[in-house]
Amino acid sequence: MKVKRLAAALFLVLAMMVNIVGCGGGDNAAKDAGGDKEKIFVFARSGDASGLDPINVTDGESLYVTQQIFDTLLEYADDSTDLQPGLATEWESAKDGKEWTLKLREGVKFHDGTPFNAEAVKFNFDRWRDEKHPNHQGDFSYYTYMFGGFPGIIQDVAAVDEYTVKFVLTQPQAPFLANLAMATFGISSPEAVKQHGEDYFKNPVGTGPFKFVKWEKDQQVVVEKNAAYWGEKAKVDKIVFRTIPDNSARLMELQSGTIDGMIGLNPDDVETIKNDANLQLLMRPSMNVGYLAMNTEKDFLKEQKIRQAINHAVNKQALIDAFYAGLAKPAKNPMPPSLWGYNDEVKGYEYDPAKAKALLAEAGYPDGFETTLWAMPVARPYMPQPKEIAQAIQQDLAKVGITTKIVTYDWQTYIEKGENAEHDLYLFGWTGDNGDPDNFLYVLLDKSNTVKGSAGNVAFYKNDRVSSLLVDAQKESDQSKRDKLYKDAQVLINEDAPWVPLVHSTPPIAAKKSISGWLPHATGTECFVGVDKAE
Amino acid sequence: MSDTASLQLKANGPQPQINDKESKGLWADALKRIVKSKISLLGLIIVAVFLLVALFAPVIAPYDPISDSDLVKRLEAPSNDHIMGRDSQGRDVFSRIVYGARISVKIGVISVGFALILGVTLGALAGYYGKWLDGIIMRLMDILLAFPSVLLAIAITAVLGPELRNAMIAIGIVYTPHFARIVRSTVLSVKATEYIEAARAIGCSDLRIIMRHVLPNCIAPIIVQSTLSVGTAILDAAALSFLGLGAQPPDPEWGAMLSDGKSYLQKAPHVMLFPGVAIMFVVLGFNLLGDGLRDALDPRLKQ
Repeated sequence: MKVKRLAAALFLVLAMMVNIVGCGGGDNAAKDAGGDKEKIFVFARSGDASGLDPINVTDGESLYVTQQIFDTLLEYADDSTDLQPGLATEWESAKDGKEWTLKLREGVKFHDGTPFNAEAVKFNFDRWRDEKHPNHQGDFSYYTYMFGGFPGIIQDVAAVDEYTVKFVLTQPQAPFLANLAMATFGISSPEAVKQHGEDYFKNPVGTGPFKFVKWEKDQQVVVEKNAAYWGEKAKVDKIVFRTIPDNSARLMELQSGTIDGMIGLNPDDVETIKNDANLQLLMRPSMNVGYLAMNTEKDFLKEQKIRQAINHAVNKQALIDAFYAGLAKPAKNPMPPSLWGYNDEVKGYEYDPAKAKALLAEAGYPDGFETTLWAMPVARPYMPQPKEIAQAIQQDLAKVGITTKIVTYDWQTYIEKGENAEHDLYLFGWTGDNGDPDNFLYVLLDKSNTVKGSAGNVAFYKNDRVSSLLVDAQKESDQSKRDKLYKDAQVLINEDAPWVPLVHSTPPIAAKKSISGWLPHATGTECFVGVDKAE
Repeated sequence: MSDTASLQLKANGPQPQINDKESKGLWADALKRIVKSKISLLGLIIVAVFLLVALFAPVIAPYDPISDSDLVKRLEAPSNDHIMGRDSQGRDVFSRIVYGARISVKIGVISVGFALILGVTLGALAGYYGKWLDGIIMRLMDILLAFPSVLLAIAITAVLGPELRNAMIAIGIVYTPHFARIVRSTVLSVKATEYIEAARAIGCSDLRIIMRHVLPNCIAPIIVQSTLSVGTAILDAAALSFLGLGAQPPDPEWGAMLSDGKSYLQKAPHVMLFPGVAIMFVVLGFNLLGDGLRDALDPRLKQ
């Protein structure tokens, strides 16, 4: 009995440790998926896709898969957000940007054999923007973010002839073409959408370089090469997207060779990759922001001085040195410096606890106050270790007298509660989708995005002057004027301090040395058509 | 079961000694037996050290477990100044483990205390009144027992919200049936004895009979069960904290420390190793002591 108990106690503790080291190896998808001749690229990330219908997802984990299966009308260049032809080959605007006519690529077929043409494009846009469309099944939230509701600013989509489609807008939208290139606006096969109805998100059919094969929830998604692809054909025969939640476990699988590449690398492990002769380190160009949103509707955080005090209290450089292995820059604006329109004149708030205390005293709280600090439960590209960062910020705030309690929920709940304004201080972040400042400033800080339940502006920051600048910038087509409008908006935002902008990170990616042609894109996902694997 | 009845007599003091002459009463005898057995003595020592560390944590710990952080020196290996090194926030691991002992004592006492009070009450009611009340209470206990304990605790904390307090409540609920069963079986056997009948005959109330004449018979098995439960409760709470359902950062709870350290298993194993060892020793200590107590308090082994 004694021995048994002793063994049980030992076993349990060891099991907890072993669990972390050894888990995840259950599924040798790569090996049993095919014979020796097939080239399979096994890619791993922390979470599974939430759906495979690109218009009905907003998370990178889902878009990573749909990006392989679908094409968009326009595409981004491999190394920038410059636009290049996709399913559309030529485009021109008329009536001051209120009309766009796109010439479509001829001879393209969806994976199910349905021909791609103007009718197919019209079907997709009608499905997205018309709530009464029989196939408008889902929440289509990205459509509303970019085009302002249903039907939003896209008034009409018309098939002029077999390969010409015309968009009529209610107002000019400067980033219109850039929006069309976003992975979420991938074009689906109308026949497949009609056939699968509500289950389309499990049966995606596009025109992309890879065809959907199967999806085992929380395990893997498999896609195979589309031999009839219109462009340069894929170099590998299959891609397996594996889900391995723990960052360290995923790295161990890479080291042991059961996966070929991974995202979600702990910055602390960057050195490990550099020192491993079999592995290579890739860098995703930085186009993101990690931030601490302050709910401007809550008691203390209503006060501008308190928000400024919190800005002065956080030591960003220390966070970067400790948790980003130096692979990040401290942020002072809500948008990254790699985008045009970034205002480098804005000073930001330097780390100065004494100044923070003085501001707190001015605001009437010389002894600080108590509040909650929300931390994401999962690693994000802009914040690889949110819980650690929360603890460090907690200490920073404690030094100026602000006592915080760290709160966390599972990822979905965390987002929902944030959109419902239940939080005080809220760690969050954003990776740009289309390289336009609108995609940061309007989505994250405009007053129209503070609707509880679907807020993108989780500081619930409402400033009419900022809002009119942002809306004007959307309608303006002259880039130098837009640049000025965005720069002005950043000055006002900095003064009001609805956030503590924390970092712009350069997310590290790891792959085997034998992998070539993987070009990490700033938008957070990229097509693997050029990825090759040397045997 | 008349064994426990006679035990009770002795436990209450001035009764004539029935058995061997050397007996100095239940507790003195038990302590003697524990000290005699090396393995249970080891358990006793571990538990005593653990309690002393918890009691004198502020004196023992060289640094503050939370505010003495230094991000620049994070993950520093063990050295003379920091004998267990620093964790991912640059805090002293040794100080955190010392303060963590306090949290573990709290977990052990509160969650087992909760289970004890609830379990003894339910068990006594079920055993004493029997019939439909017995049926309802014990079936409820059976349902609780049918779940794997950690799974049930996870479900309860998931409902109540991830907090140490809720984890303790969850563990308390999970452990309740064990106490209820022990008490009920003892009550059932004692209920039929003549002295209970006598007590009832002279007009004692049910409450008085249960408290004064029935429950004291259960003390020995309850002590054994409590001691063993404290060890497993600490382990379960650590598991819940490891999963993020128990103690929240920056509390230096051992399970949470394990969880924090797992990202650095390769780079800085000390961050995970020491809390793991601490959990192992304390659980081991309580298990050894619990087993020792069982042997010491079981009168069948007395001769």
